[in-house]
Amino acid sequence: MSTPPVIVTSGLTKNYGSGRGLFGMDLEVREGEVFGFLGPNGAGKSTTMRLLLDLIRPTSGSARVLGHDTVRGSLDIRRRVGFLPGDLALYPKLTGRKMLDYLAQLRGGVDPRTRDALVERFGADIDRPIRELSTGNRQKLGLVQAFMHEPELLILDEPIAGLDPLVQQSFHALLGEVSAQGRTVFLSSHTLSEVERVTHRLAILRQGQLVVVDSLENLRKVAVQRVEIEFAEPVDADEFRALRGVTEVHADGRTVTVGFEGSADAVVKAAATHEVLALRPREEDLEDIFLRYYRSESAA
Amino acid sequence: MSLPVAKLALRLRLPAAVSAAIGLLAVMAAVGALFPSVGHTIGSLKVPKSVANLLGGGDYGTITGWFRSEIAAIYGPLVIGALAITGASATTAGEEEDRILGLVLAHPIRRHRLVAAKAVAIAGIVLIVALGSWIGLIVGVAVGGGGITLAHMTALAVQLAFFGFATGALALALGAGTGRRSLATGAAAAVGILGWLINSFAPLVGALDWMKYLSPFYYYAGHDPLTHGVYIVGVIVLGLVSLALTAVGMIGIERRDLRA
Repeated sequence: MSTPPVIVTSGLTKNYGSGRGLFGMDLEVREGEVFGFLGPNGAGKSTTMRLLLDLIRPTSGSARVLGHDTVRGSLDIRRRVGFLPGDLALYPKLTGRKMLDYLAQLRGGVDPRTRDALVERFGADIDRPIRELSTGNRQKLGLVQAFMHEPELLILDEPIAGLDPLVQQSFHALLGEVSAQGRTVFLSSHTLSEVERVTHRLAILRQGQLVVVDSLENLRKVAVQRVEIEFAEPVDADEFRALRGVTEVHADGRTVTVGFEGSADAVVKAAATHEVLALRPREEDLEDIFLRYYRSESAA
Repeated sequence: MSLPVAKLALRLRLPAAVSAAIGLLAVMAAVGALFPSVGHTIGSLKVPKSVANLLGGGDYGTITGWFRSEIAAIYGPLVIGALAITGASATTAGEEEDRILGLVLAHPIRRHRLVAAKAVAIAGIVLIVALGSWIGLIVGVAVGGGGITLAHMTALAVQLAFFGFATGALALALGAGTGRRSLATGAAAAVGILGWLINSFAPLVGALDWMKYLSPFYYYAGHDPLTHGVYIVGVIVLGLVSLALTAVGMIGIERRDLRA
């Protein structure tokens, strides 16, 4: 029997007026997956997370997290969730240690060994007042507090903001371990490479509406394919533009890059009328996918 | 009530509270020291009734009137009210605007329990300042040559504490209910100043005399605690108003979205 989704939203709406907010979101996040939530600023990513934690209430629709309604069962949810807000703020006068102690007390205590291991892993400075810490060092404290009680679900809003590449690497490794333990991660980002590196599935959000929810693998399957063809002599790029299914053609000397949808047959046959030195398929990256969804929605 | 929240809120505001308490103590000692040399001179001045009322209506020629005008009417409520109002609005709406509350309330703590804990912390701040006032009164009156009983000095400190509870609870209710620090601070301060003016001027106009009952100053010092001791009705009214306003804040924050 399959386990129920960790997050389920049904027509979840938060209308701030003037077209701002989140509108009719239906989403499921499964247990043990690292789910990426992608979108430009103001798309509704943080709004969704705040709704899930009952920091704000929906205008209509509902959401369930770990089996509990986000409004009626918020206390049970918050016990089992670790949260890193996108605009992390901590008490500036406290040291990192005191801040973590305080947040641990709000949870009724955490295992100090887990906390210390996270502090060491991220190289967090917990003995200086928070007001003296850099953005990156504050973010490390944010990550420690989110993970230190070993929650079943982690809701992380822009988690790598301000982190140096080494700490980012350490964080991504931790996400892998957490997922392997069957715990779930719901993270937002506008750093496409991060989402590409760590997520199992992703959702693209634009102007408060879900544009697509799928695995990166599936998104790539339906994506525009590109092939780079190196000829022995320069060829006329217009030969390819006229072909069925071709969406774009770039010529650079003896090399022509062709983007197309559907079968590659026409492109291959057209290329075969010339001497072909090399044929290199180019995988569409997440940025291309993201921008394509973004543009198609803008055009709609 | 959440004990960790109350302890941290108290701790973060302790330096300001201790400074204010020491400052009040020093002012009261200085006021007491001035009395033997200037009290009788000022006491012979004829001031308009309205001005006298603004200054507590005391007779400057006596040490009770001197302290009533200098401390009970102005310094005491000003310091304790300012600290209670700024503390209550900062610990609720201020933390919300600074985005700290969003992180705290992502933890398993109910919003109304958080507000109750903040209320306890502000009450602690008020008590520290009231204690400083009480010690300051004892020192000041002794330096000024004595003349006010310990019970009456204690009564002023008690009334002052309840005045602080009420003004702090108003700022807490506004801060927790709206999440807007400037609104909470400004509106609570405005109510305090308006209350002071109403209590001073309303009794001068027969038809408006009833308005004094709307002022927290009436319940705080309307019965002159330095002369008559604790005004039980005043303490009860200020206490009930404080509890009611705290309840308003606890309910208000449960019924709205966090702003940041």
